[in-house]
Amino acid sequence: MKVIEFFHIYKQYVKDSYALQDVNVSIEKGEFVFLTGASGAGKTTFLKLIYREEEPSRGQILIDSININLIPENKLYKLRRNIGIVFQDFKLLMNRTVFENVSIPLLVRGHRRSYVEKKVMNALTLVGINHKRNYYPINISGGEQQRVAIARAIVGSPSILLADEPTGNLDTELSIEIFKIFERINANGITTVIATHDRHLLEMFPRRVIKLDKGRLVKDWKPEL
Amino acid sequence: MRFLSSVFKNTITNILRNKLVSFLCLGIISFTLLVYGIFDFITLRLDKYTQNFSKDIKAIFYIKDVAFEDDVQKLIEKIKQNILVKNVYYVSKDRAKINFERQFPELVYILSEFDKSPFPASIEVEFKRSNNIETKIVSFIEEIEKLSIVESKQVNLEWAKKINSLNRFINVIGIFLSFILIFISIFIIFNVIKLNIFYRREEINIMRLVGATNWYIKIPFIIEGGMLGLFGSLLSIILLFLVFKLFPFFASYIYTMVKELMSFDQIPSHLMFKLIFIGTIIGLFSSYISVKSHLK
Repeated sequence: MKVIEFFHIYKQYVKDSYALQDVNVSIEKGEFVFLTGASGAGKTTFLKLIYREEEPSRGQILIDSININLIPENKLYKLRRNIGIVFQDFKLLMNRTVFENVSIPLLVRGHRRSYVEKKVMNALTLVGINHKRNYYPINISGGEQQRVAIARAIVGSPSILLADEPTGNLDTELSIEIFKIFERINANGITTVIATHDRHLLEMFPRRVIKLDKGRLVKDWKPEL
Repeated sequence: MRFLSSVFKNTITNILRNKLVSFLCLGIISFTLLVYGIFDFITLRLDKYTQNFSKDIKAIFYIKDVAFEDDVQKLIEKIKQNILVKNVYYVSKDRAKINFERQFPELVYILSEFDKSPFPASIEVEFKRSNNIETKIVSFIEEIEKLSIVESKQVNLEWAKKINSLNRFINVIGIFLSFILIFISIFIIFNVIKLNIFYRREEINIMRLVGATNWYIKIPFIIEGGMLGLFGSLLSIILLFLVFKLFPFFASYIYTMVKELMSFDQIPSHLMFKLIFIGTIIGLFSSYISVKSHLK
């Protein structure tokens, strides 16, 4: 079953320059996909189009067979509750503890405190940062902040997980650890799309690779089973 | 319920976090409502003042000597039926003579010159206590005066007219000042909420991206405005209380009437509710328009 489908997607921020050009791609449910390419290739735009932070200049995007361009602004939350996002800059609130940061997606859904506590603890345990739940993001390392961002992305049990350069600022050892976390998450059936330009990791974790170059899809490679 | 309780908790935290801006906001709201409260209170006192004296509004209609008894009785009945009228007394010619003798015993010898009472019979009318009635009373008196059996009338409404115009003047100034200050309050709360939205834009963005509804994001800001208005109004009640408690102390040498207008036992509860209502509405309204224009 196809979860993400791009049909002739164009995205233009400025005149005569395309961030994405005629991109056609489909991603199956439960798939693990690396989105790769040099800086400025269009990886972030590709991800932003999925959770509709950006809208395509042309073309259609279907998520779970729903044309997301047609979703009215006040119903966008329904789409976003189904997608977990790990941002390149983590986007953690510095005046909230690790626990409070991770609980945000559940609080906005109006869940009970006991349910929120249980789910947050599970997510923190999965990413291995449970012991720092009462810390403020400023008092933990970059790798730990990354784990908090992942925990927040998965706490609402999304069916799609998007991560934008999740290992951009981490050393190789930590990056491998983070990727192992993504593998564990994906093993639970969550469709995972990770934007990265880390070749070393791509070699270590052979998965489907979608490569963008100057906004064009130049490679769509799947490892042989 | 859970959402609301967390919203209230977060709102208090936000107000305390931005102390300076919040204090500015509370200050202007409470000042606005204080000015409104003072004028409203003075108007209220003036109304009472007018009412206290309105028992003195009396009209005396002197009856022609040729008038028939029946016609006089019919006129008394007619006057009694009017809603403005509290009491009607008929003073016969003989009664008028007795009254004169009682009031001016040293002048009784003058009356000995007359066989009959030289005074005309009269109908004394006492009007009810009420506000802004002088126009109605005047038209009523004019109506009675036109009747053929009425010789003349005696009435004094000048003081009531003066107090009523003073009351109207204070009312107009109060409304004018309140409007200006309410406008300033709305402008300030509007901008405080705008600033808060700006400070918390990152948090708002994250909430949107993790699936918060528009109202989940907007409601806390609107409630924050409402709470600023509510706290401002409570502060204005305290200030109003202090102003009225301290004023008689400072105004001990001022004209007695002014002192009387300002002295009171307690702020009337309806004025307190009015201030709380207006404060909260100003807060809610200004934050709502701020949210509407800055949170798309």
